[in-house]
Amino acid sequence: MKKDLAKVRNIGISAHIDSGKTTLTERILFYTQRIHAIHEVRGKDGVGATMDSMELEKERGITIQSAATYCSWKDHDINIIDTPGHVDFTIEVERALRVLDGAVLILCSVGGVQSQSITVNRQMTRYKVPRIAFINKCDRTGANPYRVTGQLRDKLDLNAIMIQLPIGLENDLEGMIDLVTMKAVYFDGEQGDEIRIEEIPAHLRDDADEKREELLDAVSMFSDDLMEAMLEEEEIPEEMIHEAIRKGTLSLELTPVMIGSAYKNKGVQLLLDAVNSYLPCPTDIENIALDLDKEEEEIPVSNDPEDKLVALAFKLEDGRYGQLTYIRTYQGTINKGDSMINSRTGKKVKIGRLVRMHADEMEEIDHAGSGDIIALFGIDCASGDTFCNDGLNWSMSSMHVPAPVISLAINPVDNKAQVNMSKALNRFTKEDPTFKTYVDHETNETIISGMGELHLEVYIERMKREYKAEVEIGAPQVAYRETILQRADFDYTHKKQTGGSGQYGRVAGYLEPIEESDYEFVDEIVGGVIPREFISSCDKGFKKSLAKGTLTGSPITGIKAVINDGSFHAVDSSDVAFQQAAVGAFRQGFAKANPVIMEPIMKVAVEGPSEFQGSVMGSLNQRRGVIIGTFEEGNYTVVEAEIPLSEMFGYSTTLRSLTQGKAEFTMEFSTYKQVPKSVSEELIKAYEAQKKDA
Amino acid sequence: MGYEQLVSQNPVQSLSMGDKKNQLGLVMARAGLGKTALLVQIALDSILRGNKVIHVSIGESIDKTRLWYDDILKLIIEEQKLENATELMEMVARNRMIMTFKESAFSRPRLEERLNDLVLQNIFQPCCLVVDGFDFENSDRPMLEDIKDLSESMSLQAWFSAISHRGDDRFSPTGVPAPCHEVDDLFDTVILLKPESDATIQLDVIRNSGELVETGNGLSLDPTTMLVKKS
Repeated sequence: MKKDLAKVRNIGISAHIDSGKTTLTERILFYTQRIHAIHEVRGKDGVGATMDSMELEKERGITIQSAATYCSWKDHDINIIDTPGHVDFTIEVERALRVLDGAVLILCSVGGVQSQSITVNRQMTRYKVPRIAFINKCDRTGANPYRVTGQLRDKLDLNAIMIQLPIGLENDLEGMIDLVTMKAVYFDGEQGDEIRIEEIPAHLRDDADEKREELLDAVSMFSDDLMEAMLEEEEIPEEMIHEAIRKGTLSLELTPVMIGSAYKNKGVQLLLDAVNSYLPCPTDIENIALDLDKEEEEIPVSNDPEDKLVALAFKLEDGRYGQLTYIRTYQGTINKGDSMINSRTGKKVKIGRLVRMHADEMEEIDHAGSGDIIALFGIDCASGDTFCNDGLNWSMSSMHVPAPVISLAINPVDNKAQVNMSKALNRFTKEDPTFKTYVDHETNETIISGMGELHLEVYIERMKREYKAEVEIGAPQVAYRETILQRADFDYTHKKQTGGSGQYGRVAGYLEPIEESDYEFVDEIVGGVIPREFISSCDKGFKKSLAKGTLTGSPITGIKAVINDGSFHAVDSSDVAFQQAAVGAFRQGFAKANPVIMEPIMKVAVEGPSEFQGSVMGSLNQRRGVIIGTFEEGNYTVVEAEIPLSEMFGYSTTLRSLTQGKAEFTMEFSTYKQVPKSVSEELIKAYEAQKKDA
Repeated sequence: MGYEQLVSQNPVQSLSMGDKKNQLGLVMARAGLGKTALLVQIALDSILRGNKVIHVSIGESIDKTRLWYDDILKLIIEEQKLENATELMEMVARNRMIMTFKESAFSRPRLEERLNDLVLQNIFQPCCLVVDGFDFENSDRPMLEDIKDLSESMSLQAWFSAISHRGDDRFSPTGVPAPCHEVDDLFDTVILLKPESDATIQLDVIRNSGELVETGNGLSLDPTTMLVKKS
């Protein structure tokens, strides 16, 4: 069976938290008959919306994981990827954006465009995702879709154009006028599933005519036929308008605006129609793969189900049925029983069970053609891996993965928790590339690091809930480093006489700062003053010293160690003796070489309404920040600054209260810089106190 | 500071307005001749003298503007064989702030608001304002007078860049080409960049600190590095 790719839609639903995304998805699934009853997000029936599959999400009323789900509407197959709405989870959003072809941007008709909408919109622009706007919650007090459309234009810089008009608003919302067909649409029945189409009410006629003119004006740019028909003042066929809107949407130069209320069951079916009519199918979008055999040459994927397979694993989930891998195919066909190669690891995997996901339930299938989104069981991979077959070695262009910026220590409370914790961590690191974990060998603590405090909190919460791993949490930590600023000589003799064979070694030379690498060892010994076999012992000794600086116990980087003299003892010199000598020599040289503490500097970007720019800059300035610049667009400003990570703890709270929650910030690692003297003294003092306690 | 030598060696200083306040400067050229490069060098000169500079970029990104500074600084460091490169670059970063505006978002009240944000909270006290990408074609005299007013009220020295077009033969009596031919009297210093047949770009100074200058003062832009040179 060959599927008509023109009738496949892979869409995302993206929005600000609380604008009703989950409710809308729930309604879509209901009208497409994937589910048979409607549950509310915070419903009283205790079932919760179908898309929020994780317990934690149910409890908090928010969506964290993006589950992919399938439905069909008017002979089109639609894969919906539910995307989370919080800034700390943006990797989830970005990963979802990577695999979808089009998106519905949901806005609240009261709240309008909020900072999260701005971020999400920017991400969509970055990944060139065509989108439709849906102004939800038109039944709420204060609803004003016209104002929100204006904001779409001003704040998001979208060419937003309403293709519907509301009939009544707030409590009186009855239905809407479709400006393409020029009909009034009402939604009858308990669940709005009986659609009634009538003439436009007389009192809205003029309004509708005027708005239709605006719509035609806006879309005529995308269709010469339409432009001609308008000039000739002919009757304009509906199809022609649909075609022009589609063209504008696909080129990202037009954003059709729809309205409704998912909660009151109004407008959802029309939105589905629009998804079919205006959003792209897989062949409308050019996706690029990188050929790993040809130095990552860019190759567009073919979308042809007959071609060799290229598929991307974009999400892993630990469900109650075992590990589930969500996959998007870009070309070729996945068949049950076939095998394919993971192009990152080169490992061959066999395709066992193949399923189409519908939130928590699933449907077994035998094969999936290109452009489809499906899930596999029992495949060992990390998210972001590409699968190919028949000798193809391609990788879908790598996603931008930001480096973790914050870390904290976790300690399991008991033995059982210990086992469960490692299981959980193993899973999380595979699922989420921004979440990392390692064991600190000194303290024997497990350290987790990620994108923000909330990011880590959610994983700790998940550990507790899903894996029953109770852990104690340490304070968030900044990764300091130590280095030297000038050259210094050392000459150190290690001598020990403790009965039996003693230890003897003398090492001399100098330490020097270098920028190119973390550590370099140079052997300038002549005349065998240190025997060959002990040269590597010196290197070992230096390396040992690098692990822990003398100022704060942080790792030391940027050092070149040169040895040029020394002496040995025929009996007492040994590998251990020279290692010890090197350790001593390093300590001696390091102390004289003007050692300093380095701290990570973050590139911070704060985005928000311009009115708050002054206070935002003030807050950044207080944090030892250097403001690099500002960018202004409409009423929306970005302030970029470089700020030490240690000053950024708790900034989200500060920012929220400064800007009434309207601004948000992102940060990524930029570089290491020397900490100022006052801070450095404090750090050293704290480290000494800590050593005394130990 | 320790940058006196760098300042005195810099040929830019003979045409910049030193630390004089309330002065308005203009750099004009056809597209691609090095207006931004010259503005950045004027800004750097001011920073090296110990001042703080605001670089307003209209229609350009922060990163791109920053790159201009980094590139030109690197060239200077190379040319002067400076040792303390990192220190110098950090010093420049601390004393320069970039403000970028989308074309439609730039206006005097906006600029004033932003400047006040910085000055009143004592975050940044600029002495010099550099405005790159100001749309002279679609601005009238009152608008410029307004901005001149602003820079005077904040005791700033301000530099603008403007694009002239080949084939547009409107000139002011002193020889300033369109689109600035009707507003050139507002500027205390006016510099034209002129491509010569030997591929160098001559700096034709029409007016320097209010004085009319008859002939150029022998400065040119090195066409590969865009650094100002004495020819």
